[in-house]
Amino acid sequence: MTSIEIKQGLTEEFSGIKYILTSGMRSRLLLAIYESPKNLEELRTELKKPSATILHGLKELENINLVRKVQKSYELTSNGFLLTVNMVKLIDNWYSLSKSKIFWNNHDLSGIPDELLKDIYLLKDAEYIHSTTSDLSNAFNTYINLLSTSEELRIIMPIYSENHLKHLIKLLNRKRLVKLELLVSEEIYDSIKENDLFNKKILQNKKVQIKCVKEELKIFLTYCKEFVSLSLFFNDGHYDDSQILIAKDENALKWALNIDRIYKEKEENYVKLQTGSSNFNEHLEH
Amino acid sequence: MYIHNDIDDDIKFLAKSEIRLKILNELYKKPNDVRGLVKQTDITYSSVSSNVIKLEKNNHIKKIKNNYYVNPMTEVYLKTLMDFKNSVQMVNDYESFWDKHDLNQLSINSIRRITDLKDSELIETTPIDIYKTHNTIKNQISVSNCVKGVFPYLHPDYPGLIEEVLQNEGSVELIVSKSIFKELMLRINDNIRKNAIKEQKLKVYRFKKDLNLYLTICDESMSLGLFKTDGSFDQNRILISDNPKSYSWAEDLFEYVKNEVRA
Repeated sequence: MTSIEIKQGLTEEFSGIKYILTSGMRSRLLLAIYESPKNLEELRTELKKPSATILHGLKELENINLVRKVQKSYELTSNGFLLTVNMVKLIDNWYSLSKSKIFWNNHDLSGIPDELLKDIYLLKDAEYIHSTTSDLSNAFNTYINLLSTSEELRIIMPIYSENHLKHLIKLLNRKRLVKLELLVSEEIYDSIKENDLFNKKILQNKKVQIKCVKEELKIFLTYCKEFVSLSLFFNDGHYDDSQILIAKDENALKWALNIDRIYKEKEENYVKLQTGSSNFNEHLEH
Repeated sequence: MYIHNDIDDDIKFLAKSEIRLKILNELYKKPNDVRGLVKQTDITYSSVSSNVIKLEKNNHIKKIKNNYYVNPMTEVYLKTLMDFKNSVQMVNDYESFWDKHDLNQLSINSIRRITDLKDSELIETTPIDIYKTHNTIKNQISVSNCVKGVFPYLHPDYPGLIEEVLQNEGSVELIVSKSIFKELMLRINDNIRKNAIKEQKLKVYRFKKDLNLYLTICDESMSLGLFKTDGSFDQNRILISDNPKSYSWAEDLFEYVKNEVRA
């Protein structure tokens, strides 16, 4: 292959994204018109650019059938609408990531299924909480405090931590928490079972439903109506309890609930348990 | 809407150069050194090495021992960027299906997940087979045990098809526009209809507003049809798929429309 052919091949491989995303004018116009159809005057005020520049951009977008002019107003075509909705998703995805840059860049993300990574925009209102040298357990304490607010908890727990488990027992002893669903790996399950206290107070507890998968889990996710929290492992394989993402909005809950869908699809991964655990049901969805 | 400058710069930096995207995609598959990248991509050594340096400087890749690795966040950047690329491709590949069609009845979420329809097949009528779209749907329904549908119009074949599914102990759940509700019910055999409703095998919801969408979900396949922006149904094109992702896409859309009925 000649270098020209290689370049052409590459252009084809990544077709479409360059033209839209690398022109500030074109992408800004799409976003402005996405909000509502606008005329030239309105676009000029909003984008603070001269008419000639705006008209040039509009012409380009009209040529590729993303925008059309109806009387004096510019609106998105169906293609333009499809594309802009997805561009907004992309921007929100990146916003969501860059907002908690340290969190995303320092952890092993392999435990988060691709489907959820593509929807990371749903976490855009999440707050990044971390421990500091003056408050070493800030993240953990924030998490524990949140736990006590909820009535029905679901936790994907990738670690065996006596600290966490003891707190869960405390909560189970209270009236407020009526249900706890745990998803753990086989290895963690065995460790819990071997401990007499945890076996009795957690595994044998009627409020608790436990599910167990063969694979090792790489994500610590807690979700309930009140909040969603996420923490991860470092790239070297150690669990990081000093950084946590916490969100309290509906989008984040939607994101977390998608995990269910993904695990349901691979039902065969579940290990059969004798304690008679029932389904990871759909209470929260309704 | 306002794009944050940092994000804007990041997006531009990656989207601007296909070579950088290619390098990232390769490194994501397998960490490598410059020489290995040259071998895999056929891009010149000078071009690969200068872009690798730029990527490293912008904190997208990291050198560990001899190989370059994609940083975790950049991996996600890349995934979302490829997802966007696929959505652009979805629009382009089925251009005639979307273009000048009414998308108002689709949920915003179904549009965000448009790439789930990726492996769909566009069925178009031809001058020698003008019933191709209808027959495709008819075949899908007649072999199905469980049928869900959003019907904006009534085709004379539908009552018979519904009877057939119900007689085979199957179940049917429909959302239909107000204007055809009565007619459809009347045309289904009385006994079959009453029994099925009693046994909850037949559920029909009346959609109060205009219904601008056609959707069927059969046992293992889905089909989607749209209205043109002039308000007429486009009988000449449907998108069909038996891919599980498209299937769950369609189910979500069905639930969304069903909620609109209740609203």
